[in-house]
Amino acid sequence: MARLIRTEKEVEGRYEEVWIVVEEDALDQWPAGPLKIVGRDALRVDGYERARGEAVYTADLELPGMLHTAVLRSPHAHARVRSIDLSKALAAPGVHAAIGPRDIPQLVDECGYQGVAVAAVCADSYGHARAALALIDFDWEVREPLLDPDEAVARKSTIADARVRERGDADKGLAEADVVVEGEFRTQVVLHNSMETHQAVVQWVGDGIDVYISTQYIWGIRDEVAEGLGLPGDKVRVVCNYMGGGFGSKNGADDYTFIAAELAKRTGRPVKCALTRREENVAVGNRNATIQRLKVGAKSDGTLTALVGEYVNAVGWSGWNAPTDGPLHTLYACANVRSTLHGAKINTPPMKAFRAPGFVEGTFGLESLIDELAAKLDLDPLELRRINHADHDASDDRPFSSKNLLECYRRAEPHWERRHEVRTRSTETVKRGVGMASQIWYGGGGPPSYAWVRVGSDGRATVVTAMQDIGTGTKTAMAMIAAEELGIPLDHVTVSLGDSSRGPYAAISAGSSTTPSMGPAVRAAAADARRQIEEIAEQRGTPDAPLAEVVAMLEDAQILGKGARGPNPTGMQVLTFGVQVAEVAVDIETGEIWVERIAAVHDVGRVINPLGARSQIEGGIIQGIGHTLSEERLHDPRSGTILTTTLDAYRLPTIADVPEIHSELVDEPDTHLTNLGSKGLGEPPIVPTAAAIANAIRDATGADVRQLPISRAEMLRALKEARERSGAKATV
Amino acid sequence: MELKRPSSLAEVGDGLALAGGTEVVPLLRSGILSADTLVDVRGVVPAGIDGTTIGAAATLAELEVDPQIPGALREACRLAASPQLRNMGTLAGNLLQSTRCWYWRLKWPCRLHGGDECFAIEGEHREHAIFANDFCASAHPSDVAAALLALDATVTTTSRTFGIGELYRLSTDDDRNTTTLEDGELILSVDVPPCDASVYLKAMDRKRWSFPIVGVAAVRRGSETRVALAGVAPVPWLYDGSEPTPLPGNAYKVEILDALVRRARAAL
Amino acid sequence: MLNVNGHQYELKASVGTTLAEALRDELRLTGTKVACAEGHCGACTVLVDGVPTLSCITLAHTVEGAKVTTIEGLREHPMVDAFVRSDALQCGFCTPGQIVSAVALVESTPSPSDEQIRHAMAGNICRCGAYPRIEEAIRTWQG
Repeated sequence: MARLIRTEKEVEGRYEEVWIVVEEDALDQWPAGPLKIVGRDALRVDGYERARGEAVYTADLELPGMLHTAVLRSPHAHARVRSIDLSKALAAPGVHAAIGPRDIPQLVDECGYQGVAVAAVCADSYGHARAALALIDFDWEVREPLLDPDEAVARKSTIADARVRERGDADKGLAEADVVVEGEFRTQVVLHNSMETHQAVVQWVGDGIDVYISTQYIWGIRDEVAEGLGLPGDKVRVVCNYMGGGFGSKNGADDYTFIAAELAKRTGRPVKCALTRREENVAVGNRNATIQRLKVGAKSDGTLTALVGEYVNAVGWSGWNAPTDGPLHTLYACANVRSTLHGAKINTPPMKAFRAPGFVEGTFGLESLIDELAAKLDLDPLELRRINHADHDASDDRPFSSKNLLECYRRAEPHWERRHEVRTRSTETVKRGVGMASQIWYGGGGPPSYAWVRVGSDGRATVVTAMQDIGTGTKTAMAMIAAEELGIPLDHVTVSLGDSSRGPYAAISAGSSTTPSMGPAVRAAAADARRQIEEIAEQRGTPDAPLAEVVAMLEDAQILGKGARGPNPTGMQVLTFGVQVAEVAVDIETGEIWVERIAAVHDVGRVINPLGARSQIEGGIIQGIGHTLSEERLHDPRSGTILTTTLDAYRLPTIADVPEIHSELVDEPDTHLTNLGSKGLGEPPIVPTAAAIANAIRDATGADVRQLPISRAEMLRALKEARERSGAKATV
Repeated sequence: MELKRPSSLAEVGDGLALAGGTEVVPLLRSGILSADTLVDVRGVVPAGIDGTTIGAAATLAELEVDPQIPGALREACRLAASPQLRNMGTLAGNLLQSTRCWYWRLKWPCRLHGGDECFAIEGEHREHAIFANDFCASAHPSDVAAALLALDATVTTTSRTFGIGELYRLSTDDDRNTTTLEDGELILSVDVPPCDASVYLKAMDRKRWSFPIVGVAAVRRGSETRVALAGVAPVPWLYDGSEPTPLPGNAYKVEILDALVRRARAAL
Repeated sequence: MLNVNGHQYELKASVGTTLAEALRDELRLTGTKVACAEGHCGACTVLVDGVPTLSCITLAHTVEGAKVTTIEGLREHPMVDAFVRSDALQCGFCTPGQIVSAVALVESTPSPSDEQIRHAMAGNICRCGAYPRIEEAIRTWQG
């Protein structure tokens, strides 16, 4: 039965209280451990079509008569368009339409960052459109950019008011401490750089609009486009069968969708607007830079007495204030915690969610400093973490729905023990060491989400839901859940997704939420179908007959099951946990770093597909290694324009940068969470990687790195500082 | 635009020479280069190795596995660019590649583009030159050129033969070119005299597919050692022990340079 | 004329058109992906006379007379099975290019070492980070 409840909705650490209608989740959870299909390795159901190049991505779409778009983006970080003349562009060969500032709200003449869209041209080929862009006459008034985040905070140029959170009395906690460590940590701007750039193809059909788009949120696009164009939601059809990566950057419709919609309307043709890689590196969001000024106080036995952080998120021109302070409040049991979180508004491109936004950055600072504390107290870093383990969420005094972090620590022990042997493999110039860091993050998902299951007389089932698989393997997971519940082989299940006109509402693929949001709905739908099949079997007098035998009599009749995602447990905090242990080698003369091995143990409740889960962990760690060692968006310090817009300059990890990765999952269902007990795994693996590597570097060399990426320059700086410190000690 | 594919040197004529295309094609597409006529010179420039002479159209992929050539050159080829770029890119193309300076690549009106300012000097220059960087701080990215300079290789073009060092020049106020090639002059081959030992060491940001932060080639003939560098000056740099002049943001390169030179010498 | 996967196609595009554009826009062979369009990522890798080549920075007219092989010509290659079996793909956008590079590697070195795999595959960027599984696919492929 549908039930109206007041609940807290969370996406990536942002909460809001909402009234929602939820359906009861009447199913008992399956027993823990591997079942017939769920909990066992399954190959990706859409692996072949992707591998063979048959899958049609938005980038591959070519509709009859389709026009192509080139977008003029501000080349300046801060400027105003004094005047603009599109007439020459409109007259250029192949051009069908051109639009400029204020033709639609997404095209502006006040430019707060390099990359903001100003004008757009569509033509019969991309080449013609791009050539026409060069013919646009415009006159820029270039202004002084504000680039320094601290200065922005001082000048009150902020995205929102500073957020101050305190529990206990942090000053008292510091005063009571036997030891206080402090440090300033900085993290860089990191770009998502999904392989498929942001793009959409838009076509007006009758009184509605079809939007083919590379997106993480079909239904969000539907609502955003409907609102933006003043259409009823059911007149907007959003399609995304395959998409080439998102990592948080493809949650919204952005400028290109509305540009394509307007140009399609003006021309009466389907219009594609696809960003180039260079546009992708300025105009579609990024993980923002942070400055973190942290203090940790502890008793000599290791008990934390105070955690204090002043955080500045260098948000950029727009975006939101990611919870960089989150780990400080949730990771450890500490009575006195205080943080201030500033969101600096500066003339750099906007932030967007990027795989565990805030927590990746905040964990680097906090977990690095925790290890500095361990060194100062001469305590084992693992022991220090155990001493301060939080058995409930102290930030708002709620129990966790489940938490197996101590089990993660236990399973990490053999990897942590390797440090003695690893260190012995150091040489005069190459030092080896081992470091660890804990992971905490969201990932519980939530309602609403719906699925239908259709069973035919051939004994095959189709799961129908308008969700998206952004590459994480959720399509496979849904097929597994339906097959398990129906008791049929996995290859008898097809999943139909990717089209808002062909299935019910499905959750966003962000915040590690697809599996925990959609999985329970799919299971409920399959259970509904199974119940009906059992009723038929009962009436037929063969209550124990296998499904295939019962449905064989259906002919063209079908069994239709429907299911909905039930509520999250009331009064409980649903989080994911884990720990990673990194082994590194550092060339102390050249600053070269090799990450040689990472062991990851995570707790995300029940695991649906262990094979896919391992891939997620490895992918998260590898992105984390890029974040830690080689990736950095640079801007010119004077003008604020971006210098790293191509993939030779913005350095994503290659296969040669990948260490040995050992991954393990606790695989213990969260008994309070839905009919599955599963949490999400998309984000957790990237959270602790940077800190684990930084801590391994300290173990190897004694150097405290304070900045990401740990470039040669930063590594050599930290080594020099460590030498000077030990030299100073020696002379004392 | 037209494409000519001549089969003899006499037919080459005017136009922008194109071989592997790994540098010319992206620069054409980003508008840094332009041409009415492209000349695919792969049919006329020698490839392959004949004794100590390497055809200018030999690809880096061929050279990285060829046992006939000195170790420093092989290693410089092996650590250059990406596998596909090494498959496509030729020896001469590699020697003639432009800097990776982001200001130059993004078409800022810098001195190399004929303007009156080096934006890197006051701007973001962490990957830039630590020698000869007062006029233009761009760094020359060729690993292969450093190896050939250390090897004291000789270049033969359609009109002359000269030491590889003479292929390059520092840009100046009245001439912004960084090579000495005349219009229409094509590199045909490179002669690499034998040596007793040679080594190439490279510091880069990823384990593969990165341009050098610092590349050090060292070559020994008898008791004579010759060291040349990549990524530290606007041209491949013959190292004579003179003091580098780093910018505020790239002094870390000096430390890496010192370590790699020491190691390279020790390895000989 | 372009020879692609054993078929001859008349090349209609003007000089300056890249091989990737010709394949995708003219021949509608969209298995070859373009992710950076400047030779930096490897998504567009095809074989030209058996050699992994970046089609996004290769001018189509310069490969007239050569044999071009795209993912569409390798669909039945056992490397495809190896990739799916090893879960060597996530979003799949870089995968055709990865498979083309992998096929060229094993055609010349049927049992490559880990080091050889890493050296030969370093020009194919995978943002999802499927690298350990790509390595496994190439290590365990059965020709």
